[in-house]
Amino acid sequence: MSHRRGTDLRSTFVALALTSACAVFPAMAKERCGYLPGQLRLGAELPKARAAMNARKALEVVALGSSSTQGYGATSPFHSYPAELLRVLQESYPSIKVTVYNRGIGGQDVTQMLERLERDVFAEHPDLVVWQLGTNAALRSQNVAQFHRLLAGGIARMHAKGIEIVLMTPQYAPAFNALENEEDYLAAMREVAQETNVALFPRYEIMKFWFENERLPYARFINRDGLHLNDFGYTCIGRLLGEAIKRAIPR
Amino acid sequence: MIATSHPPRRARDLRLDFFRGLALWFIFIDHVPDNAVSWITVRNYGFSDATEIFVFISGFAAMIAYAGVLDRQGWLMAAMRVLRRVWQLYVAHIMLFVAFTAQIAWISLRTNRQMFIEQMNLLGLVQEPTRAVLETALLRFRPANLDVLPLYIVVLASFALTLPALRRAPWLTLAGSALVYFVARRFGWNLAAFPEGKTWYFDPFMWQLAFYLGAAFAADGRVGERLRPYAKLLAPTAVVTLLIAGFIALSWEFNALGHMVPDWLGRLIYPIDKTTLDPLRLLHFLALAYLAQLLIRPDATFLRWPLASPLRRCGEHSLLVFCIGTFLSFSAHIALDAWGPTLTAQLLVSALGIGVLIAVAYIADWYKKKQAAA
Repeated sequence: MSHRRGTDLRSTFVALALTSACAVFPAMAKERCGYLPGQLRLGAELPKARAAMNARKALEVVALGSSSTQGYGATSPFHSYPAELLRVLQESYPSIKVTVYNRGIGGQDVTQMLERLERDVFAEHPDLVVWQLGTNAALRSQNVAQFHRLLAGGIARMHAKGIEIVLMTPQYAPAFNALENEEDYLAAMREVAQETNVALFPRYEIMKFWFENERLPYARFINRDGLHLNDFGYTCIGRLLGEAIKRAIPR
Repeated sequence: MIATSHPPRRARDLRLDFFRGLALWFIFIDHVPDNAVSWITVRNYGFSDATEIFVFISGFAAMIAYAGVLDRQGWLMAAMRVLRRVWQLYVAHIMLFVAFTAQIAWISLRTNRQMFIEQMNLLGLVQEPTRAVLETALLRFRPANLDVLPLYIVVLASFALTLPALRRAPWLTLAGSALVYFVARRFGWNLAAFPEGKTWYFDPFMWQLAFYLGAAFAADGRVGERLRPYAKLLAPTAVVTLLIAGFIALSWEFNALGHMVPDWLGRLIYPIDKTTLDPLRLLHFLALAYLAQLLIRPDATFLRWPLASPLRRCGEHSLLVFCIGTFLSFSAHIALDAWGPTLTAQLLVSALGIGVLIAVAYIADWYKKKQAAA
């Protein structure tokens, strides 16, 4: 498995060109994206996002992550979660210029992402960073204590720049679930989120709910490679993340 | 191993056309999103899908088609013939690109929505039209589902160079192909695509192995016979491979089975990537191909049954049928979007599409025979 870095990963989803396209999604609108009520509570508010919207009539979001941010396994970037997140936020805040920068690079985890914080995140001066990680760390059996430390360090660097953060946990997928200690990485992310008072989007729990409670088969939301999400999975995650972020932004 | 004295068989192996036709039908059906008819295609019962079948048979058929030219007229003429075919494929791809994109443009204008343009990966055309035209000609920009022909084009172009080596030392050449596959996987080689940062959906450095497996088997011409003494070992191994792969594939569809796959097995097999032609996909395909050639002899009577002839006709006119099928898969997509993806609608568009493919293949056949007779 090797996904090369690329700049379309960094392609920007700028509001203007797409606004007209986003009005209606007949094919997608009927898809139901299940979740437990508590799963859309991020555990921390996002007051700076609100401040930016009030002051600048703009909201700049960077989606930092690996292949699940890039949208690997989707039929097109249209279905990646950052693209769907942008559509949700635009629809909800029609008077705000929302921008979502996709900074997902396949195969990476916290170590490589920290190396590109300056270039890929700080350079855009975002108000909010959605940081998706943990899957590749677990697949490569990165030391959990080290993972914990690097993650906390990254959060501190972003906080120093005044950036708000939403952490996104790994996906519920056969390749991840088969690992020996995948729970440790999930636990580390929850701990760090608590310690640093950072919002956490429980992608893993939501997808587990699809599988165990809604009895959706893997094939409904996971690509046939057993690891990545498919169009439905990405779209639902993007939409639920958008809903969760809206709820965390104070009025 | 060196200098085979058995020229590839001249008589057309009906199995090639039959299975290539089947692969083309599967590709059409699988390209229609959320299509319940996909349950009849091979991808739900194992790791590999119709792409492996199509690319392998393309390699096999290419060797049969050009080995004779090589023997009679030499490398230069054989290479020219191969390149003429590469050119035909290129033209077909560009034509298909225009028709396919026009169809997307039509529905976008008609519904006044850009959604399909984005969904089908054509946003580059809107944002950077000048660049997109250039990148299209360079095979680096293409909508979703138009990835197979560019792969075929570059691999067949390489075949113009490797043909004499395949003819003299098929197994050595195949070893070279396998070496490229492993080195490319190790270092993550792939060709660049557009927009910036994208790479090819079917990585040619890896997918070439499926083509060269077919070409080397055809060049040897006696792989089936060579393997016969080991059938007692190979046949059960292949069956077990198919059973395990089938179980895993079905575990993605049925949660009860999903719970039954042991973690150690999951750690061993995942992820099963398509872009890089995961070895498990290749293994599954080889098991399938081995059993198919064991069970179905080249002169099997069912290949001549009237029911088999639509498949064989489609396989004989594979390029045309492939292009029409890709175009129609998006038509079916639009139709299902408009009518709602009910089972009836899925059955209807699938049957209509296959019907058109058969009709096109028969018309092409009729015309070809008329021309030959004239």
